[in-house]
Amino acid sequence: MKWDEFFVTGEPMIYGAMVSIVVASLAILIGLTYFKKWGYLWREWLTTVDHKRIGIMYIISALLMLFRGGVDALLMRAQLAMPENGLLDGQHYNEIFTTHGVIMILFMAMPFIIGLMNVVVPLQIGARDVAFPRLNAVSFWLFFAGAMLFNISFVIGGSPDAGWTAYFPLASLEFSPTVGNNYYSIAIQIAGIGTLMTGVNFIATILKMRAKGMTLMKMPMFTWSVLITCVIILFAFPVLTVALALMMFDRLFGSQFFTMANGGMDMLWANLFWVWGHPEVYIVILPAFGIYSEIISTFSRKNLYGYKSMVWSMVVISLLSFLVWAHHFYTMGHGVMVNGVFSVTTMAIAIPTGVKIFNWLFTMQKGRIEFTTPMLYSLAFIPIFTIGGVTGVMLAMASADYQYHNTMFLVAHFHYVLIPGTVFAVIAGFYYWFPKLFGFRLDERQGKRAFWWIIISFNVTFFPLFFLGLKGMTRRMYTYSESTGFGPLNLLASIGSVGLAIGFILLVYNIYWSFRYAPRDTTGDPWNARTLEWSTHSPVPEYNFAIEPTVKGLDPFWESKKGGHQLYEGKIEEIHMPNNSGQPFILGIIFFFFGFFMVFSWWVPAIIAGIGVVVMLAVRSFERDHGRHIPVKEILETEARLGGEQA
Amino acid sequence: MKKLFPVKHVMGYLFSLILSIVALSVVFFDLSVAAGMSILLVSAVIQMGVQLILFMHIGEDGSKKALYTNIAYALFVGLVTVFGTLFTMIWGYQ
Amino acid sequence: MKLDHTLPLEYRSEENSNRIFGFWLFLGAEIVLFSTLFAVYLTLWNRTGSGPSGHEIFEIGPVMIETFVLLTSSFTIGLFINSMRQGLKKPAMVFFFITLLLGAVFLGVEIMEFVTYVNEGATLQRSAFLSSLFVLLGTHGAHVTLGLLWGIGLMIQIGREGFTLDTANKSFIFSLYWHFLDVVWIFIFSFVYLKGLM
Repeated sequence: MKWDEFFVTGEPMIYGAMVSIVVASLAILIGLTYFKKWGYLWREWLTTVDHKRIGIMYIISALLMLFRGGVDALLMRAQLAMPENGLLDGQHYNEIFTTHGVIMILFMAMPFIIGLMNVVVPLQIGARDVAFPRLNAVSFWLFFAGAMLFNISFVIGGSPDAGWTAYFPLASLEFSPTVGNNYYSIAIQIAGIGTLMTGVNFIATILKMRAKGMTLMKMPMFTWSVLITCVIILFAFPVLTVALALMMFDRLFGSQFFTMANGGMDMLWANLFWVWGHPEVYIVILPAFGIYSEIISTFSRKNLYGYKSMVWSMVVISLLSFLVWAHHFYTMGHGVMVNGVFSVTTMAIAIPTGVKIFNWLFTMQKGRIEFTTPMLYSLAFIPIFTIGGVTGVMLAMASADYQYHNTMFLVAHFHYVLIPGTVFAVIAGFYYWFPKLFGFRLDERQGKRAFWWIIISFNVTFFPLFFLGLKGMTRRMYTYSESTGFGPLNLLASIGSVGLAIGFILLVYNIYWSFRYAPRDTTGDPWNARTLEWSTHSPVPEYNFAIEPTVKGLDPFWESKKGGHQLYEGKIEEIHMPNNSGQPFILGIIFFFFGFFMVFSWWVPAIIAGIGVVVMLAVRSFERDHGRHIPVKEILETEARLGGEQA
Repeated sequence: MKKLFPVKHVMGYLFSLILSIVALSVVFFDLSVAAGMSILLVSAVIQMGVQLILFMHIGEDGSKKALYTNIAYALFVGLVTVFGTLFTMIWGYQ
Repeated sequence: MKLDHTLPLEYRSEENSNRIFGFWLFLGAEIVLFSTLFAVYLTLWNRTGSGPSGHEIFEIGPVMIETFVLLTSSFTIGLFINSMRQGLKKPAMVFFFITLLLGAVFLGVEIMEFVTYVNEGATLQRSAFLSSLFVLLGTHGAHVTLGLLWGIGLMIQIGREGFTLDTANKSFIFSLYWHFLDVVWIFIFSFVYLKGLM
């Protein structure tokens, strides 16, 4: 292989990206050395097993990936703003919509949600950490290795270009000979293993480590949503693992799963992809439902309406989510029976989802609603998500789907579901739980300004796409002629996307400004909230709770504030905590190189890296690490420093 | 001897050998496809039960209910994947 | 550390009982993983292209050996846990050793089977049926291989430390894994080989 095949060449934008990557990396290295922060970075972050810090690292990665995916989106909108625009050529456009999709779903939405899970769930159930802290760090570093591997593809070797769904036969070696889709199959695989481990970890945490008295039906709604989400992760991700492995076999070892000859079945890929892919949609949306439930209840000053129906509707959604996948390829050409069955199951999902929407509305009814930034996002979510849901029911009708299958109508639909459903939710959750992590609130006035920019621009960007789709504009076309008449609405959408970008810049500025100037919160409960996480200090000490809480009912902190029972009984004892470890980080690096060598079919280095992974497993197996104990004296000092007696 | 080879384990082992031989019969007798598949399915499912309950002690864990739910959910998704794929990719074309 | 002495050694600390629980969850994921491979195999099993069909290449002899060996190893790993729970280290080690030995025999027979297939021209690249066959069997075989490495590491640890909270817990989890591989094999035996030869 020659150097000019190894690096992507011939694109001024890519050269710019290469230069900026080198400059940014150098700046980070020099900065760390100059400020003598290497030790701090290693001790406090790279080796940490603390769920709060891992959560923060997930969220920072997600924000970085939001930037990357957002730049992709802006480039696409710039290209489509005018008919016959020449900003991007067809190949470059293909690469950009592919990476936009993969990054936004797998490396932005997923880690953001997993980050919030990490931060919040142990606190909400009154635990001191997750069930397997070391495994949690492994999950993060595998996700991070996968994300970085996927991201370097655009400067080294070329990005995948067959869409985020990577349908065969297009994604096969025959039609996509570059290494792009090798990156796809291997980078997502590595990150996916990390996600699967997260699923195991949080199910075990929630089922085995709740505070005394917290029965399943007394868990906060966000914790419930995370439990259900992790169940879906646990049973959906293995399907992706297999699908990606088969893709890798087809591309690297010449097997015939999805090929066009020798009995291969190209649509089998689409089938497997969506057996995972549809549950995946619920993986990113159910935690969002949980976040909204917490926020709406807190800022309506009422307990959640219809708690049990909320739980049961999530259980039903989780089961149904495994029964609808074929609606993603109604036009494949299978019979009426298949399309009929999947049409019915798909529409059935609207029922439990509708139950939830009404529950939120009834929670607000006669509540004393407080219009904080997180609450604004929650309020905006309800109507916008409903538009997404209703257009989803339209798409669910198989016979009608033939009209708008793979048009911009579909693109508009899933952005109307995923942006209010996931992005608004993680932003709302970020504003809501931020003071718990850092001890101050993000500025409300700036937050609301960003909110209005985002909400209005979102609709300006995506609403026109419904009409473009109905007029016949298909998705993934990189240009169109003026005579199609697609021009004006596309221009409007592109203007909207600039507004969205401004909104996100305002949001980032809000974070920066608040770090410097926002007043500190010393109460630990800035929102007058209801669940256990607000009953400890902000920022949270590493052991979370000096005394393990005892819970009697729903919204325990609210009840105790109203003069109910005491949350913290007993006296402070030594606390057992896990030790930090560098192994997960090293394992992540080895996996990164293993993946990289596999992408380029460099077998000898790949085998060496593979042996490295096995060695790391053996090292862990032979290790005897039983953690450490924090002495009472140290706990008392920490408690005093963070603001006196607890509760 | 009884200490090292408890009756329960020995019985389970013999039972699993017998079940394998029963399954093997489909090769040597000229059975219809439906009959053959039924024999295979029934003997495989019983084998699975023997392993889960006798050898893996699923019933003695403190979180028995969660474990049974876990296995049931996994089997639900597994069966949906197998039969749903066959339904979508093969049977649905006829 | 809080210990509940009414429980078997491997469950005794909270951490250990969480680990067993977590491993069960992981096995749930493994069930789905193998189900997906079966879904692929059952979809592609008669799409043989220009290559041979299962009926032409499967031989009942080696398959019966593999089945017998793996069933027996599942029995001996059960006996290993049984001895462990009675604190009998020596017989436990013998049973563990026999288990791993049988695992190695299984793997040897499977590799020989693969070599035979390849010599007959039935390679991974030949047809969709053969691709799905090799990947299904290979995934199971890779699990067995990993199990062997894991088992050897574990034997060394038990040899050094005896049955402690750590090693008892690891042993029990290993036994779950090994029984699970046996269950998967039963399904391969039934729905790949016997169905193919039917």
